[in-house]
Amino acid sequence: MAGGSYSRRAFLQQTAAAAMGLSLSSCGWRLANVRPTNTASADTSKLYIFTWAGYTDKALLEQFTAETGVSVVVDIYDSNEAMLAKLQSGGGGAYSIVYPSDYMVRRMRDLDLLQELDRDRISGLDSLFEPYQDPSYDPNNRHSVPVSWGTTGLVYNRKSLGTEPQDWDFLWDQREKLTRRMTLMNDTRETMGASLRRLGFSYNAEDPEAIRKAFEALQELKPFLANFTTDAWRDRIVAGDLSVAMGYSVDAVGVESENPDLGYVIPASGASLWTDTMAIPVTAPNPDAAHAWIDFMLRPDVAASVTKSLSFATPSRDAFELLPPDISENPSLFPPDDVLAKCEGLAPVGASTALYERYWNQLTSG
Amino acid sequence: MSAIQPNLDSQEDIVETMATPKLRISWQGAFSTVMYFLMYLPILVLTVYSFNESPYSAGWKGFTWRWYGQLFGDTRILTALRTSLAVALLAVGLSAVLGTMMSVGLSRYKFRGKKLYLGMSYLPTIVPDIAMAVATLVFLAALAIPLSLWTIIAAHVVFCLAYIAIVVSTRLADLDPHLEEAALDLGATPVQSFFKVLLPQLAPGILSGCLLAFVLSLDDFLISSFTAGSGATTLPMEIFSRIRTGVKPDVNALSVLLILFSGAIAFAGEYVRYRNQAKKAG
Amino acid sequence: MTQTAPPPNTPGSLDSVPNAAKKHWVGPWALLGPPGLWLVLLLVLPTLVIFELSLVPGIRPGDLVNPSGLDNYTQIFESVYLRVMLRSLLFAIGTTVVSLVLGFPVAYWIALMSPKRWRNLLLVAFILPLWTSSLLRSYAWISILRPTGVLNSFLGIFNLPALDILNQSPAVLVGMSYSFLPYMVLILYSSLEKLDLKLLEAAADLGATPIQSFWKITVPQSFQGIAAGSLLVFIISLGDFINPELLGGASSMTVSRLIYNQFLGPTQNWGFGSSLSMIMIFAVSAAVALLIRYGNTSSGKV
Repeated sequence: MAGGSYSRRAFLQQTAAAAMGLSLSSCGWRLANVRPTNTASADTSKLYIFTWAGYTDKALLEQFTAETGVSVVVDIYDSNEAMLAKLQSGGGGAYSIVYPSDYMVRRMRDLDLLQELDRDRISGLDSLFEPYQDPSYDPNNRHSVPVSWGTTGLVYNRKSLGTEPQDWDFLWDQREKLTRRMTLMNDTRETMGASLRRLGFSYNAEDPEAIRKAFEALQELKPFLANFTTDAWRDRIVAGDLSVAMGYSVDAVGVESENPDLGYVIPASGASLWTDTMAIPVTAPNPDAAHAWIDFMLRPDVAASVTKSLSFATPSRDAFELLPPDISENPSLFPPDDVLAKCEGLAPVGASTALYERYWNQLTSG
Repeated sequence: MSAIQPNLDSQEDIVETMATPKLRISWQGAFSTVMYFLMYLPILVLTVYSFNESPYSAGWKGFTWRWYGQLFGDTRILTALRTSLAVALLAVGLSAVLGTMMSVGLSRYKFRGKKLYLGMSYLPTIVPDIAMAVATLVFLAALAIPLSLWTIIAAHVVFCLAYIAIVVSTRLADLDPHLEEAALDLGATPVQSFFKVLLPQLAPGILSGCLLAFVLSLDDFLISSFTAGSGATTLPMEIFSRIRTGVKPDVNALSVLLILFSGAIAFAGEYVRYRNQAKKAG
Repeated sequence: MTQTAPPPNTPGSLDSVPNAAKKHWVGPWALLGPPGLWLVLLLVLPTLVIFELSLVPGIRPGDLVNPSGLDNYTQIFESVYLRVMLRSLLFAIGTTVVSLVLGFPVAYWIALMSPKRWRNLLLVAFILPLWTSSLLRSYAWISILRPTGVLNSFLGIFNLPALDILNQSPAVLVGMSYSFLPYMVLILYSSLEKLDLKLLEAAADLGATPIQSFWKITVPQSFQGIAAGSLLVFIISLGDFINPELLGGASSMTVSRLIYNQFLGPTQNWGFGSSLSMIMIFAVSAAVALLIRYGNTSSGKV
């Protein structure tokens, strides 16, 4: 017995010493180095998807299961950064499909987090509209396939405002009247970008002076905001608690159908134009089902039906042609070219990321 | 709302049975009645909305059972509930063993560093959840351990075992130490005396510790969301993401069922205790 | 749930049987080793690791950990983050005061004035809401406090002006006080239960007013309970995330929310998040140490 307890103590001390050595060694260690988990359950009957809220619904998942026999489990996130954080902290080992937006595809590709796609197993790539065939964030769609695109603008209640906002300036001009009746997104790049754009800078500005000005403008607006939220404005604007909310066009189309007083505008000085894609992480345990999912989602009938039921804007020409006119002519979902010309896609800002985040922390903390 | 009832009854009791100064009794009693009402107000609101026809919970649009039906067809919520129960049961089961070992060991032995050990055993009840969650996440990330259902369980064991140990220690302090000694003197082996004498006496303490830990584990949001791997979504995580993305009344329906369920357990526990006390007294 | 963080109980009676200990079949390490190992591995070491991480400025996942200074801590002492800490502290103190003021009469009534046979049941009924999901309880307050919510519909009936407090500090305070009041009542109850009523009667006989005997007898006699309950509520509300997140707004950032944002939110600065966590652990430990010291001296007096 004594021997047993002694060795236990020795074991304890050794473990502690090893762990202390790990954490205090001067040469440094790499934090959260994501590696593929070879041991991951090679369960090919399940597909784990990590996506935005409202990007799948029960009918869609059931159709996929009926066709392939693979059951789908969906987890959701509310910002690209939150998704990346989850993957990098080792919490994404089971996901075979993620939905990064354009700039995040580039960032994840640079971090070696995405697999190269096997194009032979995905049909329908040539039916994408021209700009999506060879997007700048991922030449030739080698690591990602666009699934939906849209803009970021203002959702508003025309009855309670008595007018229709045209530009970002509306929020600043009317801020006293809009006290705690407006929200901005809880998204560093989108919100800072909107402020940059309003001041005439690019969404992807890296000039510290420009970023500072955008931050100061937001600082001015902040006392009048209800909240920073990407999702939680939807219920409250439908119920009439909010008058204006900054949101994605796909969400706007969703709430417009629930309350006819609501409208969506792409601000005149320009907004962000985003593309959400489907991609396969390097750690994906089930790449076969992942390819099958991408192929499934690109099929014109499926893409057209999700455009209808989930208010996507599909980048597939074949699917677009299947849409009834009331959807394909909805300017919130498919804005005219002259409006799109003023919009701008987000791109990684490299070393300035830290600066953006620093200002964001200050903005939300004050 | 039935829980308010006894309170109202009891006030009548006071008026009837006690002839002591009426004024003082009525202000504390009245104040308490108001506080009872406030404690149940949010639950009442959720209950009312769970029967509301309108999905936006703005105004009353008519009575419906629809949301309860929808709830039972909602596989996401049911899966999350199952995950939560699995985490709580496994974590509490393991903690019951570890926590009892710890409190028995602490009550029995003197050793160098005991104060330190004792301090460590209280840490999980003192350190804020967010700090524990962050520390666990960073530690697992440092060792590149992939997050999964098991990492949630491991993290839950930390605080469950601490609470169980505290509850069991309180019970241990009330026990007669000579009983076990007597068993040993009468020729029982230490194993026998542990299982036949000590454990039965500790059982109520272990049970109430487990109940507390179970509730804490089921309700935990922060530690779960920091240590959860893909696909392992617990009920609080699911509820949180729904609150952010727009709650539909089926979540209200869920909360009504949850409080009925936990209310039943709490009252059953109280009833058993009441019966036991009555037996002892009689 | 009576047992939440009582002061360490010292098992004195069992220490007095060293002879029995020798006869036991299990060594101390067999009993204390496994749970201790668990706590060391999943609590103590992790805390050391975030301490190390807090010394790396601007670290994010994938970076090399190379402790190089106190930058993260100096960042915390910028005025904007000091404000966040002050806000968290005020929320915690406010919640403690509100819970104490509201909880004391309730605990007093249940423990001393309600009929004896109902007492346990009344206590259980008061803390029953603790058994429901804390998220759902906060969510319920959103439905009550929102501009078109229950409260304003109610006020509207009487033509009273609408209250717009959701997404502001008062809403957070309401949610936190509601969430943690049962803990306060629970602990106050167990200490008021032991109050010697004869002392109060004697005081009344000697001509003390109720207010005098409250301050001279009731409060000192239940001081331990007041201190323990306040500490518990203070600690929980200092670390609370759910209420500030759901009921607060653009201007009610607290330390917990800020930490959350550094890990699972829109910004990823693990070093800054770790240093904030260290500060929080330090603050709470200080509060506990203060209580142990202060609590002991006061119990000496009684």
